[in-house]
Amino acid sequence: MKNIKTLFVFLLPLAVGLILASSCASSKITMKSGAQLWGENCVRCHATPSPSAYNDIDWETIGLHMRIRANLTAEETNKIVEFLQSAN
Amino acid sequence: MKKILITTLVLVLVITYSYAQDTPAPEPFTPSKTQFMVRGYAHAGLNYKKTGDEVESTFVGTTFNPLFIFKHGDRLLFESELAFSFEDGQLDIGFEYANMSYLINDYMTIRMGKMLLPFGTFIERLHPSWVNKFANAPLGFGHGGIAPASGIGVEMRGAIPVGSMKILYSVYATNGPVLNTGMDAEGNFDEPDEAGQLMFNNFEDNNNKKGYGGRLGILPFANSSVEIGGSIYGGAVGDRGSSYGNIGAMLYAVDFSFVRQVSAVRGIVDVKAQYNLSNVDQATYIEPADDPLDPDEAYTFENSSNAYFAQASYRPTMAGNDVMKNFEVAYRYSAFNAPEGAEWEQQSTQWSVALNYYMNWRTLFKLSYQSTSQVGGHGVPEGETVQTDGIFVHWALGF
Ligand code: HEC
Repeated sequence: MKNIKTLFVFLLPLAVGLILASSCASSKITMKSGAQLWGENCVRCHATPSPSAYNDIDWETIGLHMRIRANLTAEETNKIVEFLQSAN
Repeated sequence: MKKILITTLVLVLVITYSYAQDTPAPEPFTPSKTQFMVRGYAHAGLNYKKTGDEVESTFVGTTFNPLFIFKHGDRLLFESELAFSFEDGQLDIGFEYANMSYLINDYMTIRMGKMLLPFGTFIERLHPSWVNKFANAPLGFGHGGIAPASGIGVEMRGAIPVGSMKILYSVYATNGPVLNTGMDAEGNFDEPDEAGQLMFNNFEDNNNKKGYGGRLGILPFANSSVEIGGSIYGGAVGDRGSSYGNIGAMLYAVDFSFVRQVSAVRGIVDVKAQYNLSNVDQATYIEPADDPLDPDEAYTFENSSNAYFAQASYRPTMAGNDVMKNFEVAYRYSAFNAPEGAEWEQQSTQWSVALNYYMNWRTLFKLSYQSTSQVGGHGVPEGETVQTDGIFVHWALGF
């Protein structure tokens, strides 16, 4: 009984996710700019900070902190941090 | 004359030389390898609550949560957060988390220490007062709730892009939750009203058996606007060597998030939800008799609880007017069902509406109205529904 529930908890979101994804136009992370990744990712949990909120060094530290907290990949983080540093 | 000329020349050369030595050509600024940051958040406010004829009105705060972040090189990070607040007239210092992380590769990080657990998303992502759009946590999600906030252990986490989708993962081992049996280690009554609840502060493993858990999140769309997650956490919860040694627990959560700037409504639409289910193996607990001459009574119940919330908010970020842009309206529904037959049995539901104003991206004024109805639980007469209305004016600030 427990095992079935466990499977259900994991498989249901997976199935729903895959169905939704297959019906959606796609563009991969590699094709996106830092500005676009910033716009899409940094708004998911809290209001988006503007590039001018911090200096270049602080963005490095925050980038690493958010990479871990928000499960970002290296490519996403690097592009976002570079964008923030160039636009602050 | 010649002598003077030569002396002057030598002097000039020496001076220029030493001057040149003192001021080498400026090098471009390179930041040091180690960086240290103090950030965090705080909030204060006014709470007004009315239950029947009873009114409670008080200023609250300030809760102050300093967050320390230390970065060494590109791969090593330490984060720790404390929480200062007043609890029953005394200063209370919470040790929210303290852990180190190392980036193993582009898609994987290892962490160790006391960390917020990715059991659903509320605790890890939404609970800080400057992120939470409401004045408090949903029912069953705060302190004394049925979902863990943090754990001490080790975790692997990261993300894997799959085509245009992204999969977020986390797996962890901790000391695991602890069963509150209502008694202390000597068998004296301790918190008999809480018997059967799980406690998530397990600083030194109570039974040598680890708790295991994980979360899988899927961002099905290329624009990352939607995330659907499933979490699981469980293990043995009874004390080593006690009669509860074999009692285990399994917790489940599903969460949903949609956040997107929708041009049709000229603003950001944000929808979030989480459902928690907690199943603890059935056990027998003891209820102290009211009269010391009477024998104490043993009882048991099916120990299953759930708590959930769903919230939606809208902020007209694309409005022409600068003041309008900073307003946000939000609605949240939440419910908590504690097991029937437990001393802490209750069914509560709550809805809240909020009007928020952002002074900047992480400073906001929150005005909210909240209506809660509760059946059962502490201080609620049997069979009655207690209705509480609350108004909260809070000022939250991240720094
Ligand atoms: C998965 C949710 C999530 C996402 C996505 C996210 N953040 Fe955060 N962010 C948080 C939380 C939670 C905190 C508060 C940390 C705490 O106090 O424990 C935070 C804090 C911050 C802070 C304050 C300083 C700090 O490091 O704590 C900054 C700045 C920040 N985020 C920037 C960003 C940027 C830029 C992005 C986009 C790359 C981003 N965030 C994406 C959840 C998120």
